[in-house]
Amino acid sequence: MTEPLLELSGVKAGYGAIEVLHGVDLALRPGTLLALLGPNGGGKSTAMRVIAGLHPATGGEVRYAGRTVNGISAQDAARLGICSIPEGRGVFPNLTVRENLWAATGTGARLKDMEEKAYGRFPILGKRRDQLAGSLSGGEQQMLALSRALGTDPAVLLLDELSMGLAPKIVSEMYETVAELVAGGLSVLVAEQFARAVLPIADSAALMLHGRIAATGTPDEIEDRLAGDYLGG
Amino acid sequence: MTTFLTYTVLGLVLGAVYSIAASGLVLTYNTSGIFNFAHGAQAMFGTFLYWHFTQVWNWPTWLGLIAVIGVAGPVMGAALHALIMKGLRGTADVTKIIVTVAVLLGTVYLAQWIWNPDEARTIDMFFGAGAKVTLAGVTVRYHEIVCLVAAVAIAALLRVLFTRSRAGVVMRGSVDDPDLLRLNGHDPERAAMLSWALGSTLAVLAGVLVVPISGGAMDANMLTLLVIDAFAAAMFGRLRSLPRTFAGAMVLGLTVTYVLAYLPSAGTFTGNLRVSLPMIILFVVLVVLPQDRLRGAAVRTRERYRVPSVRSAAVWGAVLIAVVYLYSLLLPDAGVTAFALGMTFAIVALSLTVLTGYAGELNLAPLSFGAIGTIVAFHFGVTGEGLAARLNVQGVLLGVLVAAVVGGLVALPALRLRGLYLALATMAFGVFLSNMVLRDTTEHEWFGQRFTIFPDGSLVIPPLKAGPLDLRDGTAFLMTATVLFALLGIGLAALRNSGYGRRLAAMKDSPAATAMLGQSLVRLKLSVFMISAGIAGLGGVLMSSAHGTVSQETFTITGSLALLMLVVVAGIGYISGALFGGLIAGVGSAVLVSTFNDLALEHESMSSLYTAVGQLVLVGTALVGMGVGRNPSGFVHDVAEAYRSLRAAKPVLYGGGAAGAVLYVLALTDVIGTWTFAIAALCVLMLLPVIGKSVLEEKGRRETPLELLGIDEPYTDELRARLDRELGLPATVRKGGAGVPA
Ligand SMILES: Nc1ncnc2c1ncn2[C@@H]1O[C@H](COP(=O)(O)OP(=O)(O)OP(=O)(O)O)[C@@H](O)[C@H]1O
Ligand SMILES: [Mg+2]
Repeated sequence: MTEPLLELSGVKAGYGAIEVLHGVDLALRPGTLLALLGPNGGGKSTAMRVIAGLHPATGGEVRYAGRTVNGISAQDAARLGICSIPEGRGVFPNLTVRENLWAATGTGARLKDMEEKAYGRFPILGKRRDQLAGSLSGGEQQMLALSRALGTDPAVLLLDELSMGLAPKIVSEMYETVAELVAGGLSVLVAEQFARAVLPIADSAALMLHGRIAATGTPDEIEDRLAGDYLGG
Repeated sequence: MTTFLTYTVLGLVLGAVYSIAASGLVLTYNTSGIFNFAHGAQAMFGTFLYWHFTQVWNWPTWLGLIAVIGVAGPVMGAALHALIMKGLRGTADVTKIIVTVAVLLGTVYLAQWIWNPDEARTIDMFFGAGAKVTLAGVTVRYHEIVCLVAAVAIAALLRVLFTRSRAGVVMRGSVDDPDLLRLNGHDPERAAMLSWALGSTLAVLAGVLVVPISGGAMDANMLTLLVIDAFAAAMFGRLRSLPRTFAGAMVLGLTVTYVLAYLPSAGTFTGNLRVSLPMIILFVVLVVLPQDRLRGAAVRTRERYRVPSVRSAAVWGAVLIAVVYLYSLLLPDAGVTAFALGMTFAIVALSLTVLTGYAGELNLAPLSFGAIGTIVAFHFGVTGEGLAARLNVQGVLLGVLVAAVVGGLVALPALRLRGLYLALATMAFGVFLSNMVLRDTTEHEWFGQRFTIFPDGSLVIPPLKAGPLDLRDGTAFLMTATVLFALLGIGLAALRNSGYGRRLAAMKDSPAATAMLGQSLVRLKLSVFMISAGIAGLGGVLMSSAHGTVSQETFTITGSLALLMLVVVAGIGYISGALFGGLIAGVGSAVLVSTFNDLALEHESMSSLYTAVGQLVLVGTALVGMGVGRNPSGFVHDVAEAYRSLRAAKPVLYGGGAAGAVLYVLALTDVIGTWTFAIAALCVLMLLPVIGKSVLEEKGRRETPLELLGIDEPYTDELRARLDRELGLPATVRKGGAGVPA
């Protein structure tokens, strides 16, 4: 097996005095999609924030391409090719669609390329290019957020709860796009509660409970486990 | 026709300056979400610097301009951001407002310290006042052309920056979501600092341009307020749109100029109207323009207040009365009078506790409602002449009533407004009142009655007499004010614990949710505004009577802002916060400053030192206000928390009590002076928690098991946050359908 591109070992993190991650081990292999599943408050988003450099790890190691990157700033992480689309809407509501894409060029992409890729993939965005992102529908906002991953050509994509508040049809469309990106060589880590949406395209999966990884394995194994002992069928 | 054109040009020039100032405001508001009340003070400070460079150090104009616009302006803005504004993310509106207000006050105090306000200073027009051209009969000075060109150029440049450059787009993004900006590879702090530097530079430019136009000598307060007039222009664009801000500024400049030109100039009316017009326009624009809708999700801020029970409020009220009485025995007559004045301020401050602390609404002009109460009491409540003159109870009650009604009237149009907008509306009202009403010294005739609102520009308010109680005696006044404060405090605690109080708290946390639960926001807001204005009216009447003579100066917006700032510093959610804030506002700084000024007079060799210390006290209070961002719940909160943990260390408490008693006896028997006593008692008060903590630590720290937290251990904010989290109450909206089988 190849070396993992992104690896967490024994990562701890918390808010104030309260520890939320009690030692998380994860490994994302290049060109694969790893689904991070688990119930509310399990710590998925916190783990994503730690990787993206938004939240400090208080213990353990985050390794990116073999290098320890603990304490890296979010700006630097972004420049190193970690593209993170945070929970909620990863868009600036008071900027137009086009301005959002412009802001996304902070890591060196060109606005023209961004626009081409985004509008090519999601034509609806092209029609709405001068509309405020805050007035887009939830699905369109997620398309816009995902456009950042399309246009900036990152090495790793972190997706937190892409399905939040969206119709199942839109969700599966989104994940189709993600699957294409993976096929193109991108490594993706997806945090998701809506397991059914992401498991079919995942290469492996991990179950996160109370700040720990309770199980890792193939999507099928994890799905069984989800249905069996955790969600009670 | 030529006259009209001349005035039009003048109006446009004034509008140009407004537009430069207002666009700076819009800039900082859009990148940091902070409405900078200190904008005018920054303009003022930069202008004084410019004066100093060009007049005192005799630098050439161009060098002075480069120094203030190229260096001082940006440095001031960047420093503000780095030292203060950066720390304000996640605080309530009132905290943000107070911090910038503190900067405003601090800058004004500092300027008055450096540049003695008694000297007259002027700034020349660029190219001199004689350099002009005549077009179609209208004479235009070069300076005015510079203003117009600068305004247009700046408006165009800012528009390009904001919409056509990535730096501008990033700046606008930084207010929405700084974290997302980081994920995009940008540095939100750099964007914010850039915008503060730019905004401050624009303020300074506006100041340098406006002084020669407005004529007269430079005055720190006036100059600050002059730029505050630009708030109205910024509001035209709803603090977002630069083109509309520009248009608004021009309308404002023209209106102000035409009013001066075409209204009859007899009496003081036109002059007063011209001065208050920007504030009237601000009020109207705020009320008329559609505002942002109520935000759906509750805003989780860092402020935390504990709700007192009625019983503990009553106990503390009794303690307060006893302590004040015992302390008054130590004070000389002048001290008692000053203390009484402070207590009346504390009553005014209570109006802020209900309004802001309980209901989350804002009023930047509490003293203005005090002024209304005072005017009414003066006209309807004074009996007797000369020394025998007394205020009667009916007059005071009528004053309270009218203040409450006016409070309701001001709040009524402003009911839709929240947070910042409401604050600005009340500020507009306050400035309007002190410019129009409190300067109204001419005689009016209404319904056959001849009267003057503010005869001779000052009112003599005699002491209150109610039955056998005559407040001419200082101690009687002090104790009456204290008892009133205690009663109001108990009343407010009862109010807060009632269903009404809980509805207020709900409105503070989430207006949208309160509205959805079927509560009438209108009724809640209106009633709480009236209660608050009534309390301010009562405090105001007493304050005026404690002053003896009051004038427009007594009720300035700066005074209101300083009071509000001190109350927030002390803890606006607490009755004790109102007590300390009010006392400091009423006596603290006044007594300290005058003490140091007296010392300066007495000891001539040390006079500059003492004057400096006096000024330092003023600037120091403002510095404390700037620190509010770090501790938004106020210092009363911290002290109370510290004492709560002392419950476990009873001996320390008893020891502290004994030390206090000994000090008191020493003071009573004149072994130590009053000041020594006050300072020593304060030290004991502050040191006790520290001592207690070390004692407790010696007892040995053990981990408290989770289930005993809050029982064996004080209940901290952190614990509360954790509990919220366990119960699933975090501020972020959680998606539904958690853990539904997939
Ligand atoms: N800003 C914060 N301050 C304090 N505690 C927080 C904060 N954000 C999250 N937490 C806590 O950390 C824990 C883990 O939260 P996290 O958001 O990582 O969970 P999650 O697995 O993403 O849940 P969800 O599926 O609901 O998104 C929770 O108990 C949460 O309450
Ligand atoms: Mg999450």
